[in-house]
Amino acid sequence: MWVIYTLNGLYFAALLFLTSLGLNIILGVMGILNLAHGSFYAIGAFMGAWTIIQIVTKAPAPLLYVSLLSGFLLAGIVGWIMEKTLIRAMYKRTLEYQLLLTFGALLLLEDLIKMVWGGQALYASAPFDRLGKVEIMGSVYPAYFLLVIAITLCVGFLIWLFMGKTRLGIMLRAISLDREMATGLGLDISRLSTLAFVLGSGLAGLAGALVIPTTPALLGIGMEPLIFAFIVVVVGGLGSLKGALVGALLVGLTRSFGIAIFPEIELPLLFLIAGIILVAKPQGLFGR
Amino acid sequence: MELKRMLGNPRWVAYGIILLVLLFVPYLLPTFDLMLFEYGLTFGIVGLGFNLLLGYTGLLSFGHGAYFAAGAYAVAMMGKYLPQAFAMELLIPAALLFSLLVSIIFGFLCVRHTKIFFSILALSLSMLLFALIFKLYHLTGGSDGLRVPIPTILGMSFKGVRRPLFLTGTYYYFLLAMFTLSFLIMRGIVSSPFGKALQAIRDNEIRAELIGIRVRRYRLYAFCISGMYAGLGGALWSFVNGHVTADLSHWVFSGEIVYMTLLGGFGMLEGPVIGAMIFTYLKLYAMGNTEYWMFVIGATLIILVLLLPSGVSGAAAALWTKMRKGRKTEGVSC
Amino acid sequence: MSNEISRRNFLKYVGAATIIVGPLSGATKALGQAKRPAPTGPVKIAAVSFLTGAAAGPFGIPADNTFKMCADVINKEGGILGRKIELLSKDEAGGVDAQVKLARKLLLEDKVDVDLGYISSASCLAVLPLADELGGLIVAYDCGTHELMEGAKSPYEVPKFKLGFKSSAHLGIDNIGLARMIKKYLPNIKTIAGVNQDYAWGRDSWLIFETAMKKLMPQVQVVKTLWPPLGNTDFTAHISALMGAKPDIVHTSLWGGDAVTFTKQAAGMGFFKNIKTAWSRGEPYPQELGKDFPEEQIICCAGTHYFLYPPPEKSPLNKWFVEEYRKRYGKYPTYPCYHAYQALYLYKHAVEKAAKSAGGWPTQEEIAKAMTGLTFPTPSGDITIREDHSAVEDVLVGFSKLTPKYPFPILDPQRMEIFPANQVLPPVGIRTVDWINGWK
Repeated sequence: MWVIYTLNGLYFAALLFLTSLGLNIILGVMGILNLAHGSFYAIGAFMGAWTIIQIVTKAPAPLLYVSLLSGFLLAGIVGWIMEKTLIRAMYKRTLEYQLLLTFGALLLLEDLIKMVWGGQALYASAPFDRLGKVEIMGSVYPAYFLLVIAITLCVGFLIWLFMGKTRLGIMLRAISLDREMATGLGLDISRLSTLAFVLGSGLAGLAGALVIPTTPALLGIGMEPLIFAFIVVVVGGLGSLKGALVGALLVGLTRSFGIAIFPEIELPLLFLIAGIILVAKPQGLFGR
Repeated sequence: MELKRMLGNPRWVAYGIILLVLLFVPYLLPTFDLMLFEYGLTFGIVGLGFNLLLGYTGLLSFGHGAYFAAGAYAVAMMGKYLPQAFAMELLIPAALLFSLLVSIIFGFLCVRHTKIFFSILALSLSMLLFALIFKLYHLTGGSDGLRVPIPTILGMSFKGVRRPLFLTGTYYYFLLAMFTLSFLIMRGIVSSPFGKALQAIRDNEIRAELIGIRVRRYRLYAFCISGMYAGLGGALWSFVNGHVTADLSHWVFSGEIVYMTLLGGFGMLEGPVIGAMIFTYLKLYAMGNTEYWMFVIGATLIILVLLLPSGVSGAAAALWTKMRKGRKTEGVSC
Repeated sequence: MSNEISRRNFLKYVGAATIIVGPLSGATKALGQAKRPAPTGPVKIAAVSFLTGAAAGPFGIPADNTFKMCADVINKEGGILGRKIELLSKDEAGGVDAQVKLARKLLLEDKVDVDLGYISSASCLAVLPLADELGGLIVAYDCGTHELMEGAKSPYEVPKFKLGFKSSAHLGIDNIGLARMIKKYLPNIKTIAGVNQDYAWGRDSWLIFETAMKKLMPQVQVVKTLWPPLGNTDFTAHISALMGAKPDIVHTSLWGGDAVTFTKQAAGMGFFKNIKTAWSRGEPYPQELGKDFPEEQIICCAGTHYFLYPPPEKSPLNKWFVEEYRKRYGKYPTYPCYHAYQALYLYKHAVEKAAKSAGGWPTQEEIAKAMTGLTFPTPSGDITIREDHSAVEDVLVGFSKLTPKYPFPILDPQRMEIFPANQVLPPVGIRTVDWINGWK
């Protein structure tokens, strides 16, 4: 049973990791806290669901999984539009305006989703169903959850490679470490910021799309992941990619075991842990 | 502030006229609009305090709903557990005390940080309170919320009086008195050395520290004062609404407080009050007229930020200055 | 009036009054006038449901669809006493303060004739007192809380609100119904557990169920209670925890996306092999999930609301309702739809009844008087509103079963149980929990 509890925790942590990673990339490179981050999760969810519904009867199985990427893509595109229009306008302004603009975007996007996809739930569980179950130490476990964990590991690895080994990635890290210096070195902050925003929003969209086969796309689906992502950012440290990983694992596993052992406590337990970490290490585990 | 100086000052004359008009509002507005106006007044009080933290100290809290909720729930829980002591003279201090308590605890954690971390922490803490209110449903009513009965004011009982009558009569004047008092106190705070120190901290933290201002402590003071204002607003609001729920501590509700402050403009003391009034009407009419009201509110916010960053009061002030065409006006610093 | 006023003067006064008052009586809300010509404008009916957010898909939109459908049908048949219905669909979202403001606007500014609303218990609790405060009729049509019409202690005075009504029964009937069903069909179970959303709805549902089970089947033990937050999308941890505790039956009041998500994830983890779930308002989910909804689960219908009950042969009204809804919206109606029908037709029948004695369009008070004690036909059977202004309903509980005729499990016709109202609803003035605890 403990293996299952761990797997459950990893599954939750995986989705949380993708979302917080996206939030932290944007925070680190651009210094912007995107309150509409959850909306990109929702966009990814709806797009993923819609795509699967369109092709489910005609497409071969592997295409179904690839189609989840449509969530990543649309979230990235919308992120690109948002960055070019709104965020651009905010660079010269202070923090208050940035937060307010993203808050306004949150409200806007929530209704836009409703306008495009309607108010009803969208179900697209074919990818979950088709993969069936596996047996793990006497218990039955849906293979789809394992796939999500695997995909997240790959994505995490790719991002790590990107940030550490590619020129673009190193430039992004440079900006997040010291913006002024980076400008002085001649880096094109503006283009790189767009990249960061698109990547970050896309990751949230990917998380949203990955969750779709297990749950219907509903209005407001992005609100809870946003709060959890905030907790991870607070615990792991602003802008820290390592912090996102450790924070997500901490939150995911604590939640999974917490539910099994102390069911009443769930959400407050997470806040409690966040509180303890904050008092001990005010900047978060890996924050600056 | 001597009376003579006040009478000569156009700003105080304006305040006096406005107050006079406000005294007659119950005779000018129908019941529904008057109740809406009262919602606006209570948020105006919240805005006054919020402005101290944002405009004068430079700290943006996306979690001020927590202190609003503290005040509102202090009232509601007294209604539940101490109905025999449900008197305004006890309720207001209780609300102030409770919101002060929560502000001190949360503020202590928050003021160690600035900017983004401050905002995100303030947000998370308000969500913690939200979760607690939800969870402790035996005490707080949880998601159902709690009903707020009509209190006695200065010994006057309103037994058998329907709420609309109470609200459009005695309560309005009580609320107006509280609002006026809050406004005057805030003016005092802002013009005091403490107020100047806050602005110094906002403009240049390091310099302020160097000239001997205890930055963190002053921030905490500002945080707590703004928290108490929010709590007072929450308590007064609870009588108008008649019902409180955990939503009051949710970060989206806090976002509305920020919205109102920006809408009105946080450069001037009066700004958030105007913003509170406008937002109250804006939200209600959007909700009443379209199912895409969130789009309307969101789009309005974005347009505001992009075109009118100093809010309505800022735009009005700029217009006023332009109209006076170069004639020297009073210093705008409040 | 003293004897000094002579008959002649008296007639003079009456004559003068009639001349002044007569033209005014053309106004829509003439109160207590001697003569009452029917107002000619439309009847303004507000229908407030969740049109955005998580509760929109499963409840708000089907209910709103039904309001529109019924208003349309009534208008085609001539309206209410010849007046057409003008339906104002409003969104229940935005928080309780927005709903309080909206209700005040509807009653004071828009001057609606009746406000039919509210899925969320919080909305109901906040808004219903406004009925008496503002002198307008409000009918709560869907929210489940038993606290709405109950007082703080038993016995309590009824009605709680003079102009506030509840046109559907509260969550007590579902949870007591489930307990009775389990006792009847699964008397040998040993353990139960609960997974309910961590807010008033979930807490209240479990409370009533647990209290009833303790009385009906005291030998059964509760092995686990879980409280996932509302809107939770990952139930894997909960499912594993439940399976680890090995209950025979798991009670749940999960709704909407949570219900669907839980079922899918649970099925994938082999949950239903050894565990049965008992759903307090589970009626919509077999249709939502189709063949993914497992068989042999115990389902309750928030009353006797089901597209196959009463069967079309026995109830022409249900037959019409199901077909009409399906024609317009492509799905079988679910219990929120039936609740919406009940609310609107309660108003219509009450107005018609009150008009007979009033001799014209009735006042709010007269309509309220007519509503109390009224029995009227609905697609689910006859419903009565009793002295405490809430509805008396029987409850239908069944087992899910796949049949060739439908692409989703239906309630097994062989094992459908109707528990009458007096077995699942407390008598007037007694709190539900006190009533259960008083069972012998």
